Amino acid sequence: MQSSQTPVLDKFLGEVDRIVRDKNGVELQAFLVIEPPFNSLYEAMIAEMRKIYPKGKEGALEQRCSRMLKEAGEDAEGATWTIFVKFMANYLSFIRDVDPSNLLETYNILSELQQKANSALTSPSKGLIILPTVIAYARVFARLAIGLDKNPELIAHLVVQSNSEEDGRRETLPERAANILRTAFVTCLNDRGSGSGGVKDGKPDGKKVGIYKIANLCLKILFQCDKKMNAEQIFTNIYNQSPPLSIYPASERVTYLYYLGRFHFSTGHFFPAQMALQAAYDQCLASPACVGQRRLILIYLVAANMILGRFPTQSLYDRPEAAGLQAIFQPIVHTLIKGDLETFRRLVDWDSPNAPWLMRRYKMLLQIARLCEVIVWRSLFRRAFVLTGVQGDNETRKAPTLDLNYVLALFVFLEKRALHPPERLDKFGPAPDPPPEAYYIDPEFVGADGKPLEGYHANVSLPSMLNIESKCSSLISQGFMNGFISHKLKRFAIKGAKEKGSALAAGWPKFWDVINAEAPPDCPGWKQDVASSSAGGAFGPGMVVNLSNARPVGSGPLG
Amino acid sequence: MAASGPGAASTTKAGASDAKDGDTKDVQKPIAALEEDDEFEDFPVQDWTEEDTQLPGGNTHLWEESWDDDDTNDEFSVQLKEELKRVGKK
Repeated sequence: MQSSQTPVLDKFLGEVDRIVRDKNGVELQAFLVIEPPFNSLYEAMIAEMRKIYPKGKEGALEQRCSRMLKEAGEDAEGATWTIFVKFMANYLSFIRDVDPSNLLETYNILSELQQKANSALTSPSKGLIILPTVIAYARVFARLAIGLDKNPELIAHLVVQSNSEEDGRRETLPERAANILRTAFVTCLNDRGSGSGGVKDGKPDGKKVGIYKIANLCLKILFQCDKKMNAEQIFTNIYNQSPPLSIYPASERVTYLYYLGRFHFSTGHFFPAQMALQAAYDQCLASPACVGQRRLILIYLVAANMILGRFPTQSLYDRPEAAGLQAIFQPIVHTLIKGDLETFRRLVDWDSPNAPWLMRRYKMLLQIARLCEVIVWRSLFRRAFVLTGVQGDNETRKAPTLDLNYVLALFVFLEKRALHPPERLDKFGPAPDPPPEAYYIDPEFVGADGKPLEGYHANVSLPSMLNIESKCSSLISQGFMNGFISHKLKRFAIKGAKEKGSALAAGWPKFWDVINAEAPPDCPGWKQDVASSSAGGAFGPGMVVNLSNARPVGSGPLG
Repeated sequence: MAASGPGAASTTKAGASDAKDGDTKDVQKPIAALEEDDEFEDFPVQDWTEEDTQLPGGNTHLWEESWDDDDTNDEFSVQLKEELKRVGKK
């Protein structure tokens, strides 16, 4: 008789059936292990299967599962959970066949198993039982997907294969993995089984327990494999449908806010980025074991804050997780405070010693170079006023003014110096003319001898008066300078000096204050505590949030 | 940091160098795996309280929002003043 040939398997399936009857998801997950080495009981079961249900006999194995797993049959309400039977048969084939030395094959069969588990999760009445299993598998699955992405030689043939497909778009392995996990995430998000809007006694209820656990794994894959932009859908879904983030465990909150902050950072929404990252930093565990997480959060938080005109203090740099950050960021901060355009240009140059760190590792050099430049402009205009400005006269109601010709002279001086290596410059001497390599020649106008064609004038881009007026009006329109330009007199006149008590205070409001005054009320993607969110059903069409339309505060100056 | 420092020297060959402890370790260490996104590790525990987030001296001032600098005698200002003299500012 067949049953006597597989006593261990029979006992195992009997136990699974009992666990399902008990609705004990945690025990089910502990039972359905997938990572070798397996203990002797599992090994005995695997040996039985290799003998009685070897490869190719999956149909018979599924029938066996179907007979043994009575709980998956029709229940009192007439609902069945046949997908669980398919999942169990697939699980048994998985542990029978898995060979951890073959990463790609392991990934492929785990991918199938994950999808079966995801399907079993969709059952409104019983899906919840398998949620801990889905999450546990998702962890392993994400690790494998990332591991394979980091070993392109293992998946090179897949890239070739998908290239040859005519679907117009190539989905990479990590994207596909994230998409598989996303289906489980969506199931959790859409769960209506709990009947409480996903919140019970201030805690997530039903499958909604899994929202952030699975979302964070998707995000981990997408960020590790440099597919951040694919994360937008996850953030939008959460913003529209999730219970508030605050009711989830701290580890899930901090991890999610880290990825959300980084997403906003990479899309140029620095204020929301700062909000999410600051909250992640504040809520992170203070234990020395978490210095790595705190450091990663802090690196992006420092960059976002810098762009918004808020700089780290010594107390921050002195924290263990900030070790070494002062050497990277403070020289840049110093140029922002001084308006030292020359040094700023050098520090954000692609050839600067810290560029690999800022550019390739943390992918923030372009943002800092592009957006912090506005802070340098503001400081240089301000310094020009400190050095050359004409104070106003309250009696005659004459406004304080700044001659833009001086501003132009300083901009040109610093830009010209930045074109030369510093060792070739006299610190206090005049700026030499731009070196030949600074001249731009359109490749279309280069002759065979490598020189520009006759009549073509190579160009070097240095600020002009028009350019200075444009910078000035840009700073005024964004509120970073307060006054108006006299185009005729080439002067910037400061408004409100009398009220503010000084020309400087009136002309140059604090950068952060200006940013803060225009800050968005919340951070898209971060579900806050609102009365309606726990009531359920409060998400009408009006709640649809398009993250790409979020106002990029701080990105305006050059945007 | 000098352009010829260990960090700068290894920038062209990412992933090859290993990190050594030293003064420049934080600049040097990342270069070991320059092209990769740092992994945000799983936390050792699931949940914790607000008290567990408090660092020693936790309420210190961490961000400077008032940083405008009016010093006109620093090296940079002197440099600018020299240039202004050259362009005719009295």
